[in-house]
Amino acid sequence: MRKQVSTIKTLMKYLGARKYWILVSLVLALGSVGLSLYIPVLTGQAVDLALGRGTVDMAGIGGILLKIGVCAGALALVQWMMSAVNNRLSFDTSRDIRLAAFRKIAKLPLKTIDAQPLGDIVSRVMSDVEQLSDGVLMGFTQLFTGVITILGTLIFMLVKQPLIAAAVVVVTPLSLVVSSFIAKRTYSMFKKQSENRGTLTAIIDESVSGMKTVKAFSQEETMRGRFRAANENLRASALRAIFFSSITNPATRFVNSVVYALVAVIGSLFAIARPRVMSVGDLTCFLSYASQYTKPFNEISGVVAEFQNALACAARVFEFIAEEEMTPDPAEGASVEGLKGDVQIEDLSFSYEPDRKLIEHLNLSAPAGRRVAIVGPTGCGKTTLINLLMRFYEPDAGRITVDGVDAREYGREALRSAYGMVLQDTWLMSGTVRENIRFGAPDATDEQVVEAAQAAHAHSFIERLPDGYDTMLTEDGGGLSQGQKQLICIARVMLKTPRILILDEATSSIDTRTELRIQDAFQRLMEGRTSFVVAHRLSTIRSADVIVAMKDGRIMEVGSHEELLKKNGFYADLYMSQYR
Amino acid sequence: MIKKLGTYLKGYGRESVLGPLFKLLEALFELFVPLVVAKMIDQGIRGGEGEAYVWKMGGLLLLLGVVGLVFSITAQYFAARASVGFASRLRETLYDRVTRLSASQLDRIGSSRLTQRLTGDVDQVQNGLNLALRLMLRSPFVVFGSMIMAFTVDGKSAWIFAVMIPALSIVVFGVMAWSLKLFKRSQANMDRVMNLVRENLTGVRVIRAFGRDGSENARFTDASDKLNASQRTAGRVSALTNPLTSVIVNLALIVLIHTGALRVDTGTLSQGQLVALVNYMSQILVELIKLANLIVSISKALACFDRVQTVIDLPEDATERAAGAALDRAADVAVRFDHVELVYPGAGAPSLEDVSFVAHRGETIGIVGPTGSGKSSLVNLIPRFYDATRGSVELYGQDVKRLSPEDIRRSVGMVPQKTVLFSGSIADNVRWGKTDASDADVLNAIDGAQGTDILSKKNEGMNAPVGQGGRALSGGQRQRVAIARALVRNADILILDDSASALDFATDARLRAAIRARQGSQTVFIVSQRASGVRYADRILVMDEGRVSAQGTHEELMQSSALYREIYFSQFPEGDHVCESR
Repeated sequence: MRKQVSTIKTLMKYLGARKYWILVSLVLALGSVGLSLYIPVLTGQAVDLALGRGTVDMAGIGGILLKIGVCAGALALVQWMMSAVNNRLSFDTSRDIRLAAFRKIAKLPLKTIDAQPLGDIVSRVMSDVEQLSDGVLMGFTQLFTGVITILGTLIFMLVKQPLIAAAVVVVTPLSLVVSSFIAKRTYSMFKKQSENRGTLTAIIDESVSGMKTVKAFSQEETMRGRFRAANENLRASALRAIFFSSITNPATRFVNSVVYALVAVIGSLFAIARPRVMSVGDLTCFLSYASQYTKPFNEISGVVAEFQNALACAARVFEFIAEEEMTPDPAEGASVEGLKGDVQIEDLSFSYEPDRKLIEHLNLSAPAGRRVAIVGPTGCGKTTLINLLMRFYEPDAGRITVDGVDAREYGREALRSAYGMVLQDTWLMSGTVRENIRFGAPDATDEQVVEAAQAAHAHSFIERLPDGYDTMLTEDGGGLSQGQKQLICIARVMLKTPRILILDEATSSIDTRTELRIQDAFQRLMEGRTSFVVAHRLSTIRSADVIVAMKDGRIMEVGSHEELLKKNGFYADLYMSQYR
Repeated sequence: MIKKLGTYLKGYGRESVLGPLFKLLEALFELFVPLVVAKMIDQGIRGGEGEAYVWKMGGLLLLLGVVGLVFSITAQYFAARASVGFASRLRETLYDRVTRLSASQLDRIGSSRLTQRLTGDVDQVQNGLNLALRLMLRSPFVVFGSMIMAFTVDGKSAWIFAVMIPALSIVVFGVMAWSLKLFKRSQANMDRVMNLVRENLTGVRVIRAFGRDGSENARFTDASDKLNASQRTAGRVSALTNPLTSVIVNLALIVLIHTGALRVDTGTLSQGQLVALVNYMSQILVELIKLANLIVSISKALACFDRVQTVIDLPEDATERAAGAALDRAADVAVRFDHVELVYPGAGAPSLEDVSFVAHRGETIGIVGPTGSGKSSLVNLIPRFYDATRGSVELYGQDVKRLSPEDIRRSVGMVPQKTVLFSGSIADNVRWGKTDASDADVLNAIDGAQGTDILSKKNEGMNAPVGQGGRALSGGQRQRVAIARALVRNADILILDDSASALDFATDARLRAAIRARQGSQTVFIVSQRASGVRYADRILVMDEGRVSAQGTHEELMQSSALYREIYFSQFPEGDHVCESR
């Protein structure tokens, strides 16, 4: 319950930003209810003028009918405007929440993102917000008009029959008690449904994006099995949530009909015993108001129950938005202007899981302009080192300095602006080839884009694409070969011309011949700049100024290619193996 | 579309009939309440039947309440069961279809769109159907019921009802058709938003490295604004139903009162009858307000259902057709390419042209060539991920187009260039290659893939989870698990598509030795970026711009192919003494 209250509070914060529209919606609801109550009054008046043969006041009726016409027109307009405003409120709110969730992605430490299934986050940002939006829309359309109708009838009754009104007021809200009783129980069911939806989305996301591998191993049936199990879980939880929440409306109606029966019986008995105090007419009136008055309660109680779904979904989105953010950057970050690129790693320790040590007490010096190659068996901590250099992860102990300043004293964005990075895992955005190459340097001219592509030896294949540089790449560069994607990633970093370059297996899917040519381009690009290169290939590493051979998170040997070969140790062994 | 809806409701026929039926019964019983109250007053108070009668009628009211409650809950239950079951079945049918999409269809549609259809779209369909089953019968029932009642009161005035109802239907269906189109547009914008969310999660490192948070934010804001605008337009149009219908009904009401009043004046209609007619009209008005909300949900659901259905209805690509002969592995020639051409759908130039070669049982075929020369395209034709646009691909003398793709894939062990693992343990992933592999088989395959040291680093050994997409492992570890997955099959044909890219030389060399040692009659294809990867192959295909520019052994190619020499010397510079010494 406390959770629901805090969810509502957060939701209110988003709605609060549109309080004027809410006010407009309220006013329109008032107009809509008023007009729709007034039209029956007018028709009543018109019918009253048609008493019988020869006594019909056609002129009077004509006047009233004109009024009805005007009111009906006004009502239609008001109703439409109210719907438009409510739609706006709901869609704007969902957009705001989705934007907040999206912006959150940029503020989360990678640790948090890496720990969650991608599909689950997607489900929160997409499906949960969608459900919330539907709930908010329903709330506005039905809650406002419901409340206003109740208030309207109440005032009407108070004016006409204060005593009866008081009696009805006391008993009818019983239905609200019943609905909140059910709502409390359905909240957890909706929560479960939303979680199951997240799990299912994670399975869908993983299998759909890896479908070609699924096919290669004819594992369609395995994935269908996983999907079916999760789909069945969702079905079962959805059925429970939907069914139990939908009991609210019949249940409250039942409560109201019991109250109605009681009122009728007691009223009748009263009328029999004391005909002077309560006439038959009084009783009829009394009963008709009681039923009028309870109807909106039924509607509202239904809304309250179904709103639980929106709240359960909202809770999951808000939970994501409230995740702990990265340690804030210093307010006045050190300047990266004219950075030389002198990188020192001092007594660095890091591990992903506390009980599994990875990097311990690592020291490494990369003076400005130096080409540092990092080699070693897979899983030795090379990629982790890059995660730390880029500040994707923060060290547990020790520090990394750039130009003698602790990396944490720069703003992350400023620090990263000094770096250029090509990872083995090629990521391209959906957009044109040109947009992708320009990713790191949005202001580059078309000529510069072509130059970078030429340096990366990507120009000739890009030219052959159906629309050249304007060819749209679908998700994850679909349609290009792995090597071509890598070439575009290299062109992307070449256009950026960073102070410090990081290449993590950047040319792993490129043939050695093309690589050799790219190497020359990199050499020219990085003249006087610091670079870190992780690679297995001899050609990539042997021209490095200093080679760092790592194993199990520790540095085994440091030196130039020739020095290390002479040593005939760990590196020499690693190096020779390619001739076997 | 309605007919298609029906196919998913099969098996829920009972529920989808009983749900609305009980809802109707409940409404009917509700009509008795005023009658009972009237009796209570007329006979209990005025008629002097006394307290006992009042109590009796009170009991009847209570009973009606109970009956209403039971009927209503029954209706809700059936509606919920049918709609949730429908959605679950629709989602499953769609998922099944997605698993049978061909590689080129997957390329074209993209993961985000498929994911959105499997999640958000199906949710909307479920929501719409649930509401429809509960309420849809009710409105026509009330509307037509009122009209019939009007005819019993006064046939001469009831024509107004008869004219009004078609007008209402035109408005309702017209608005529905219009908003359906707009909802489809807004759901398409939803695809784009989904795409950006996924992309920003998969590319989070690159986006941060290039400091593009700001521009991604702008892209997302832009996409959200577009979505918002299209949703608002769709909302404004679908919100037309109620105002328009209420205008029509109110106009009809005016006409009714006018003609009714004239008839009262001539004495052909009593005031009471006029009141009754007006009341029936008001009932329709109230009902249409409820219907309007329903129409919005239904149009949205239909739009989403249509989107789902377009994927389900995609023509089945030949490469995924289940039918086909079983592969007979008797012949000596394992793989034969005969003047093969491949043009990807939507691509201008062919990716493979005039490719011909033969691979005998037990041979190792190396494939090298510059980036984008068609190496991966070539090996992707063997398990029939794509079909050659010209020429033929034969396995053991049989054209792949005549074979069942599943059977082909069972005889091929493949390590794709892009390593993809799935949540589960290391052993689970390896067992993808062979479902019934024993623990010993799994360990043996991991050993062959040079991955034994991965297990020693994990407390749970081969039962260690790999995380979603294999996140818990390093790039090289992932790649070795993927290799083990292919090795465990002991398939007739093994394809290693640049599968040593994340391995260091020592591991790569040991891996190749292990594969040679286990090979036997297996035909092995090795795509490599480096000459060392294919050097000992029985035949090496040198690819260049989609063609086989030369083929032969390493020694032959060093003589005959300038391109091969260039590739070789780019890895082993001429005169490198280390090279000669080994």
